[in-house]
Amino acid sequence: MNDGLVKILDGNTFVVSDERGDIEASLTDPTGLFSFDTRFLSRWVLTLNGQRLNPLSVDDLQYFETRFFLVPGTGTVYIDAKLSVIRRRAVGNGFHEELTILNHDEKPVNLTIRVEAGSDFADLFEVKDALEKKGRYSTRVDDGKLLLGYVRDTFERATVVSASEPARVTRNGLSFRVEIEPHGEWTTDLDVAAVLPGLPGARGRPKYGRGSRRARPNMSESLEQWVEEAPRVECDWDSLRTTYRRSLVDLAALRFSPPVARGQSLPAAGLPWFMTMFGRDSIFTSLQALPFTPALAATTLRALGEWQGSRIDDFRDEDPGRILHEMRYGEMAAFEERPHSPYYGCADATPLYVVLLDEYERWTGDTKLVRELEFEARAALAWIDDYADLLGNGYIWYQRRNEETGLENQCWKDSWDSISYRDGRLPGFPRATCELQGYAYDAKVRGARLARIAWKDPELADRLESEAAALKRRFNRDFWVEDGGYFALALDTEGNQVDCLASNNGHLLWSGIVDKSKAASVASHLLGRRLFSGWGVRTLAEGEGRYNPIGYHVGTVWPFDNSFIAWGLRRYGFKDEAAQIAAGILDAAEFFDGRLPEAFGGYERILTKYPVQYPTACSPQAWSTGAPLLLLRTMLGLEPQGDHLVVDPALPQTLGHLEVLDIPGRWGRMDAFGRGRVQVESRRAHARRR
Amino acid sequence: MTDVVDQFFAELADRGREPLLERVTGSLRFELSDGGKTDRWFVEVEKGDVSVSRKSLAADCTLRAERKLFAGMVRGEVNAMAAVLRGALSVEGDLEHLLLFQRIFPGPPGARGPRRGRGRQKGRR
Repeated sequence: MNDGLVKILDGNTFVVSDERGDIEASLTDPTGLFSFDTRFLSRWVLTLNGQRLNPLSVDDLQYFETRFFLVPGTGTVYIDAKLSVIRRRAVGNGFHEELTILNHDEKPVNLTIRVEAGSDFADLFEVKDALEKKGRYSTRVDDGKLLLGYVRDTFERATVVSASEPARVTRNGLSFRVEIEPHGEWTTDLDVAAVLPGLPGARGRPKYGRGSRRARPNMSESLEQWVEEAPRVECDWDSLRTTYRRSLVDLAALRFSPPVARGQSLPAAGLPWFMTMFGRDSIFTSLQALPFTPALAATTLRALGEWQGSRIDDFRDEDPGRILHEMRYGEMAAFEERPHSPYYGCADATPLYVVLLDEYERWTGDTKLVRELEFEARAALAWIDDYADLLGNGYIWYQRRNEETGLENQCWKDSWDSISYRDGRLPGFPRATCELQGYAYDAKVRGARLARIAWKDPELADRLESEAAALKRRFNRDFWVEDGGYFALALDTEGNQVDCLASNNGHLLWSGIVDKSKAASVASHLLGRRLFSGWGVRTLAEGEGRYNPIGYHVGTVWPFDNSFIAWGLRRYGFKDEAAQIAAGILDAAEFFDGRLPEAFGGYERILTKYPVQYPTACSPQAWSTGAPLLLLRTMLGLEPQGDHLVVDPALPQTLGHLEVLDIPGRWGRMDAFGRGRVQVESRRAHARRR
Repeated sequence: MTDVVDQFFAELADRGREPLLERVTGSLRFELSDGGKTDRWFVEVEKGDVSVSRKSLAADCTLRAERKLFAGMVRGEVNAMAAVLRGALSVEGDLEHLLLFQRIFPGPPGARGPRRGRGRQKGRR
């Protein structure tokens, strides 16, 4: 990876090391073995006769398995290249490492091989914020094993290090004295187990042993099966095939099986720091992936349903019916120094939960799940009216009740300066951002459909439909910026428009809340000079007070955002515009070898020629990984209608021929074909635009 | 002498049906210790229909905690999931059952809840 760090993971257990396979972490340095948001190893250093090793190459076998090829010596001059060292590491409940040393010499060699081990048991939050530990450490040697421990009251975490070959075990690590024959080899297995007493699903030994050649990730399916079961994509454009394959493999790595999901997996938010349930991210990614891997949506719906809020708790910003924002398992969540057990402070996941449930049923025909989750879906719908309408005027508003560690902005643009007026001023709280109203509208419309087909409650359906219609009327009156011809980013508590032009308008199209008469104006803004960079739609329009092409939510282009904007454009019949956005984002993907980053700079495409990546620690990120999948759907115009899949392609001309084969759904499996006909601004065309 | 824990289980038994537990079918065993003494409850749920006994049977999910801690949960002062993460409430078996069961615990006493309507706050909901 480009930061010189090697990352492998299995669910929420991951190892970040340098290219030698060594770990030398400080409190703020994000390397180590992590599991359930706790660092279990902060030191893991291999030496031969007191010498560090030098990396020759790293072979990323799979996302959960890697192999380091090393030689003794430092720098570029090899003092002794007559030895080579291979560390093969597989992560799972800790990790398993096969250490092999080859003697290439004609003489035997005597070696002292040492592995230093230590742990600071830092909470992931502490690694971010450099906080002091409050518990007691212990280190002891027992039965040839090294036991590292940390205790704070009833909270216990331990790391057990052991080897298959006889070792001298001390409190700092393991050492081996060996003689290796000429052209011989020596090998040992090293096991590092992460122990979490009392937490079900956390086993006390590494998953893999010697000879586990077919390592099994923490899912029921292997990577091969996963890719095999997904639709096939055939096309003339190599880059799109690469991007599709990359998305599937990354999505496989991002699968996370939370303790309650009975081995089923849902998409976590990002690798490696966000390998946990996030309401918003898991829902958006499940929506994007529905035509390809619908099982993710089912698990997301079940797991988020089980964790749904049931009481009023100000610390967690929890209300009955609210869908969680983020779950964490570390010490700070355990001692309520952070509210993530789980934290509920987000305003969009709850309506989006109903949207996903309906969309899932439309694709799969799985009404059984809709009936099973009736209680949760009704509670989510009730939350919109009973708990989110803070000003009692029919809109979703957000304001955190946990003032210390809660989130200020509870929409997807969650940075401090993301919601502003044209002149750059920030509104007070509570805030009602526009896309939340769109999601609420869509949730009510879709909830009505579910009430009819699955819950046999026509009264609820009628009520939801009339509420949705009233919301749409109100919204088109209150949020419409007359002199701009677009919808305001938000309303403030005085009822004034927070009048910036932002990408949120695309989400409004997606939700269907936009009056038909206003859609063309919105679409022309989305593809207009101020929002469209040539690669995609900027989060905030050029010319706004806080616009900054490398500002996190105030000017960058987010692939995830664009995939929903394209879907929205299609919903209102703007096929060519949707194709233009798909073309721009998929062009950008080519520059990242098919792995779209979370965001890239909002610079004019003509200026930079390539998309400038926004620096981020999280790669791959789930909803960026899902973006190409949703773009494939929108370009082909895939839409379930009853038991059929409608295909209505509008592909960019640059793309040529596209086939998506074996699309799963209530129709069984179906193929979709298209040929590029839509004139888009290719690189050359774009150059002429200015 | 009865305390909040006894009351909690007695009320649960009296209710017979608990809408918040409609998703649950299975059994939970509670082992609550107080000094050297451990009290056991066995709760069976069949799609929201609840029965409570003191039988000593194997359950889908066994929970062990100090009685004092459990009393805190019943009063809404202790969050069950944070207690699990701390190891103060230990879970053996299916965590899902606990997750669904803990819905019936109240929120923290004195929680404000969402502030509604400036100048015309409706108070706690």
